[in-house]
Amino acid sequence: MLQRFHYAAPATRAELFSLLGEKKGRARLLAGGTDLLVNIRNGVMKPELVIDIKKVSGYSGISWSSSEGLVIRPAVTINEVLRDKEVRDRYPLLAECAHDLASYQIRNRATVIGNVVNASPCSDMAPALLCLGGKAVIASARGEREVPFSEFFKGVKKTVVQDDEVLDRIVVPASSVGARGSYRKLKRINGHDLGIVGVALMRQDGTLRLGISSSAPTPVLVDGLKERDDAEKVVAAARKAISAISDVRCSKEYREYMVEVYVRRLLAEVR
Amino acid sequence: MNIRVTVNGRVYERDVEEHTTLIRFLREDLGLTGTKEGCGAGECGACTVFLDGKTVNSCMVLAVETNGSTVETIEGEAKEGKLSVIQEAFDRHHAVQCGYCTAGMVMSVRELLRRTPKPTVDQVKEGIEGNFCRCTGYQQIIEAVLDASGQPELANKGELKHA
Repeated sequence: MLQRFHYAAPATRAELFSLLGEKKGRARLLAGGTDLLVNIRNGVMKPELVIDIKKVSGYSGISWSSSEGLVIRPAVTINEVLRDKEVRDRYPLLAECAHDLASYQIRNRATVIGNVVNASPCSDMAPALLCLGGKAVIASARGEREVPFSEFFKGVKKTVVQDDEVLDRIVVPASSVGARGSYRKLKRINGHDLGIVGVALMRQDGTLRLGISSSAPTPVLVDGLKERDDAEKVVAAARKAISAISDVRCSKEYREYMVEVYVRRLLAEVR
Repeated sequence: MNIRVTVNGRVYERDVEEHTTLIRFLREDLGLTGTKEGCGAGECGACTVFLDGKTVNSCMVLAVETNGSTVETIEGEAKEGKLSVIQEAFDRHHAVQCGYCTAGMVMSVRELLRRTPKPTVDQVKEGIEGNFCRCTGYQQIIEAVLDASGQPELANKGELKHA
């Protein structure tokens, strides 16, 4: 049984911002609910008010334009991303990461924005968004601000989003269209599971980037590499960027080792 | 909060508490106890139902979120006392042991066959990856799905073949 809370489903951004302002941190946003309702059930979160953002006008759908790039709004589920033709054709790395997230019925509810705003170290969408140069557009009654995902995560379950703010949309730049990349996620089982490590590698216009999950307090971007860098240099950069720990899923040493294994495999696979 | 939901073709209007999950609403308010709650955290899939045509874990949906929606559960699977093709195949292949996962499993299989009418063995496995069977009767379940999709010959091939 869930603990008690009140529920609101605002129809506009203005109503949403005013509820958030009123509750000052005692409210939680509900999109897919696949993390929030589990956290409430476990007593990890005790919101007074749960605000369902799915009915907010303008919060549904994915769109693409050559000027703005890809725009993902708060109600967009992981399966919507997987089905979207623009995503599959232009940002296959994003689709690949989405496909590795949980089970089919969870992907029907879980949202892209929820997956990043929860800031779990094992976020599956973060590696792709980091590699692709994605930006978070954060909105509140005070206005809007843009934060690149490389500066978005602040710690385990911590982001730059303040109590009165909402991650209003994700923008993936048009300049990342055509990048070659792939994602490898190590799990305990072949079925749906949280990652032990996740590594995305992307090559574009002579540059090489890595997005790594489950290997540091936050998902990590490894930037500043070149396509022609040898494997030793890329592996060294990855090892330097992560700070793995031992936990229920595996040891620190195994994590570090598997990050290296995946980086080497991806370097050979993504040409 | 007052909600109006269509479940298996019947319209229900009920006053529900805001923290009530969809599974509690189905089981306790509507008496539709076919859907089971397993883990309550989206791991096991026992509580899988259709919400507006999409499979969801009903333990992770609030009843108030379903206001104005359509829900389909295992109680709507058989029509006029006749088992569905999926249910018949589960019966034929003994794909039910303790039965706790079956209601959710049948929902996921229905969704899989809607998307992929003739799934391969790997597609079946992926289609039911969100549904755990702790009797580990997966082989019979996969055989039942292959049979239900009109490919009984696949059920006796390759890795599924009995030793």
